[in-house]
Amino acid sequence: MEQFIYYLKVSLLSIKRAPLPYALTVFILSVGLGVFFANATFYYQLNSDPLPGKSDKLFFPMTLTPYDCNDCRPPRILSYSNVQKLAASDIPSAQAAMYSSDGYARLTIDQPPTPVVIRITQRDFFQMFDVPLLHGSVWPDDNGHHQVILSRPMALKLFGRTAVVGESLLLDDRNFRIIGVLDEWQMLPRLYDANGRNHLTANEDIFLPLETGYDLNYLSKTNSQTFDDTDYRQLATEGRVGALHQLQYWVQLDTAAQQEDYQQYMQSLAEDEKAAGRHPAPINNQLVPMLGIVDYFGDDPGDIKAFALVTLLFLVVCLFNASHLALNRYLSNQYEFSLRRALGASRSQLQLQMLADVLLMTVFSLLGALFIGYAGVSLMNALLPQNSLFSTWDLTLITALILAAFTCSYLVTLYPSLRASFGSLNQQLKE
Amino acid sequence: MITLTNLSKIFRTELIETHALRDVTLQVNEGEFAALTGPSGSGKSTLLNILGTLESFDSGDYLLDGKSIKGLSDAALSQLRNEKIGFIFQSFNLIKDFSIYDNIELPLRYRGLKAAERKQRIEQALELVGLHARRDYLPAQLSGGQQQRVAIARAIAGRPRILLADEPTGNLDSLMARQVMELLEQINQQGCTILMVTHDPDQARRAGRNIQIIDGQLHDSTMYEPLATQSA
Amino acid sequence: MSLSLLLKVMLNRKIVTILLLLQLAITLALLLNSVLLAQQTHQQLNQPTGLELEDTLLVQLKPTTPQLRMYPLLEDLLQRQVRALQNIPGVIAAAYSNQAVITQGGNNGNIYDVDNEDRTNISSVPMYFVSPDFFKVLNVNVVQGELPQLSSYLDGDTQPGVILTQRLTERLFPGESVVGRQLNRGPVSAVISDFYGQRSAEDVMYNSIQVAPPYAVDWGYALMLRTAPGQAGAVREQLTTVLQTVEPNIEIYYIRSLAEQQRQLYRNEYGLASLLTILTALMLLVTMISSYSSAHFHVLKRQQEIGVKRALGASKRLIFIELLSESWLCTLIGAFLGIGCALILNQALAQVISIPSLNWWLPLITSAILLFSVTLATWYPATIATRVSPATATKAL
Repeated sequence: MEQFIYYLKVSLLSIKRAPLPYALTVFILSVGLGVFFANATFYYQLNSDPLPGKSDKLFFPMTLTPYDCNDCRPPRILSYSNVQKLAASDIPSAQAAMYSSDGYARLTIDQPPTPVVIRITQRDFFQMFDVPLLHGSVWPDDNGHHQVILSRPMALKLFGRTAVVGESLLLDDRNFRIIGVLDEWQMLPRLYDANGRNHLTANEDIFLPLETGYDLNYLSKTNSQTFDDTDYRQLATEGRVGALHQLQYWVQLDTAAQQEDYQQYMQSLAEDEKAAGRHPAPINNQLVPMLGIVDYFGDDPGDIKAFALVTLLFLVVCLFNASHLALNRYLSNQYEFSLRRALGASRSQLQLQMLADVLLMTVFSLLGALFIGYAGVSLMNALLPQNSLFSTWDLTLITALILAAFTCSYLVTLYPSLRASFGSLNQQLKE
Repeated sequence: MITLTNLSKIFRTELIETHALRDVTLQVNEGEFAALTGPSGSGKSTLLNILGTLESFDSGDYLLDGKSIKGLSDAALSQLRNEKIGFIFQSFNLIKDFSIYDNIELPLRYRGLKAAERKQRIEQALELVGLHARRDYLPAQLSGGQQQRVAIARAIAGRPRILLADEPTGNLDSLMARQVMELLEQINQQGCTILMVTHDPDQARRAGRNIQIIDGQLHDSTMYEPLATQSA
Repeated sequence: MSLSLLLKVMLNRKIVTILLLLQLAITLALLLNSVLLAQQTHQQLNQPTGLELEDTLLVQLKPTTPQLRMYPLLEDLLQRQVRALQNIPGVIAAAYSNQAVITQGGNNGNIYDVDNEDRTNISSVPMYFVSPDFFKVLNVNVVQGELPQLSSYLDGDTQPGVILTQRLTERLFPGESVVGRQLNRGPVSAVISDFYGQRSAEDVMYNSIQVAPPYAVDWGYALMLRTAPGQAGAVREQLTTVLQTVEPNIEIYYIRSLAEQQRQLYRNEYGLASLLTILTALMLLVTMISSYSSAHFHVLKRQQEIGVKRALGASKRLIFIELLSESWLCTLIGAFLGIGCALILNQALAQVISIPSLNWWLPLITSAILLFSVTLATWYPATIATRVSPATATKAL
């Protein structure tokens, strides 16, 4: 240990001898790592699995196409009647249809209304996406109820407390009873709502039963399409039978056998519908796993991917550059290396010295990279605000950065020091 | 062709002034082969550098071909060196990355000669030093004596009228040294003026004239005629 | 200076040269693509919109009570709001619309000539339901037909007349007279000059407008107004108060000029182009540091060699140029490789974002920028090199 401290001292001394080249090397390495890390933060968070262990069991089925087309995919949102046909199957362990809408909530008619985002869905939603309940319970069945479940922040905002089960509130001036309050919950990315770039936004505030949403004519705030002359102002009646598409639909299929059975079920359903003349397009069933849904919809924000490519290249450039600088630095110190060798230092002792150099370089470039990474994340939040929910650092990321800093420092130091320590003794001393 | 009058050179540091050369007056005629001798630190190399316009001087004057070099610009001095003066160094000073051919070509390029002319001169110089077969070698692939012969070839390829040699055999064994000396004599016989710094008394004797420097002052022991009659 | 000699010097320093070349090549590739992206964003922000961006204001809002979102209260609200806006001094015209202009998407649907459905069916054409002064607010020209003076009703017995933009008209009825032709949305009553509707549409200038109150305002609606030149700022300050006075039960999502609306629409592209520009600046800095240190190091290492050259008659200027030429040659080879890298990077980027392909003159300009940066960075070390005394040559190693 004491020996190693000595090596660290020697490293520091040689830095002191030529501080500018060293500072430049550390600067370049920090910039490369920092920029890379800033973007890697977003890339990692955006591509993270929000439901590890479960995401491969959740699927979005798309089957019935109410219009004629060649080689086209079925609509990415479903009609109420399509959902009912799919829900007739008991193969999935859980299934829920859903959409989101805007509303205004208040406790009494005299208060100013609070804008809220409502997720209108069915009871299996909470179990499927591991939504934690703090108080109360979810709806007893999938029928309409004037009962809502609040997110924790919304309960705190409206009531100033979370234990509000049994209380009432006004949602768009209609009276609802609160039957549950969620615990702290943030599913990121919110893959069940992959439509446009909605999966990048925050969770909803209030949860309302699907049937009630249709009864009260809540329209989807993100995407709705009609393929016939259904009047969207008559959601409770026409909307339940016509080709008004606005629903997302998720099923939980735990085993490969279930998945196969469900594919088969979709196929039979599509064939029946075709025979009945309600499915003019060729059958093109899709059962998309949750982690593949963003790609399937083509809604991936390409900017982070593009920038990932670019920052990776930049890191490579910085590595080249830093090793170039380090090579120059070592060659300037080559005399010293040779002298040590002449005085009897073994190659392995020189390699230990090199390790001390690497550690120091790691520490300095890590500090620099953290600073530049933080600045980079702030800048990206300002310039690409839609990704701002994905800018947090966790232990995995920081560990990865430390490893990356060490690896880069090692790479940058490796070749130059090898070259210096294997340089011809004789020649160096003669010079 | 070289006339120095009362030439002095002082090296200054913060604390001390050293007179490297004091009131040196010297006349060298066309075709002479002169040896510069003296103890280490006596100022031989400084004198040679000044003669080669590599270093400036503090007082006195230096006439080359009757023209003072005082006040000439860097470009003019560079041209002068390039056209009239050839150098041979103790440590050869060949450029490591360049082949023999490229090394010899360097001063010719600075002069702006055409490729054909350069080629012809290099061939001639290589012929003279007997290294024609090694033209594509790198300096490190040659022996010390061969390297010095390349350096000589480089110095004479530009057909300079003056050749300045700083201990050209200092790094060579006696056999090699003799070869180099024979080569220099041969060049001198073709009419080139040579000034050579040396430690070796034998070599000094082989030169036609022996100029001694002690503590920056000249003690000229001309073999043939006194300086005064020459300058008349 | 001889090219072959320079090349030889570079070959002898293989590792260092390869590092430098790779770095230069990648830098140029990034520089090139950043410029390309910045240029594209600039073009997108400057494409014609057919609108007066600075003098047109947009308020996106929604009533907060269900009653106000239903007729007849809704129609009364819309009229009260438009009237109040028109009374603000400096306002030339004000109107409501079910949706804003210059948006990503919104309320749209397919449109076709009922006599020719197969050939003319265009999907995702924006549908605007507006008050009569909408056209005055946008300041569009009438090309054919006549604009309706009064509002009609979508649920009435007859469909309200449809006003089309010019480009959409040419697509639906190429070279034909159009007034009175029947579309699935109603009869054509007028054709107006083009304006920017929705970005996700087949053509951003495709728009159809009907003068009628919207079906519903569950997704909010827009109030638009055009001000006298230079009045936009003053008018804008009053908008919130005026609208709150007319009806307090509203939520105003945002108030923007159309110029801001356009910037908002291209915010992502703008953000990415800015990021790439910053990154490119960093990269040029890194390249400059590396050119500087590389040149500086070699000058120190080669003092002897420079001294010999000086002794052989190379002037200061020649040494200076020789050192710069080394950097230039390196940069040019790097730039040449870089154009290849840029092509590859361009194709890789095109997989994930929309980016134009390379043209012929951009590589020249970016190479020049690179060359300039490198020259700047090599200048000082090259100056040091000229200070090497030719007498260095005579000193023993």
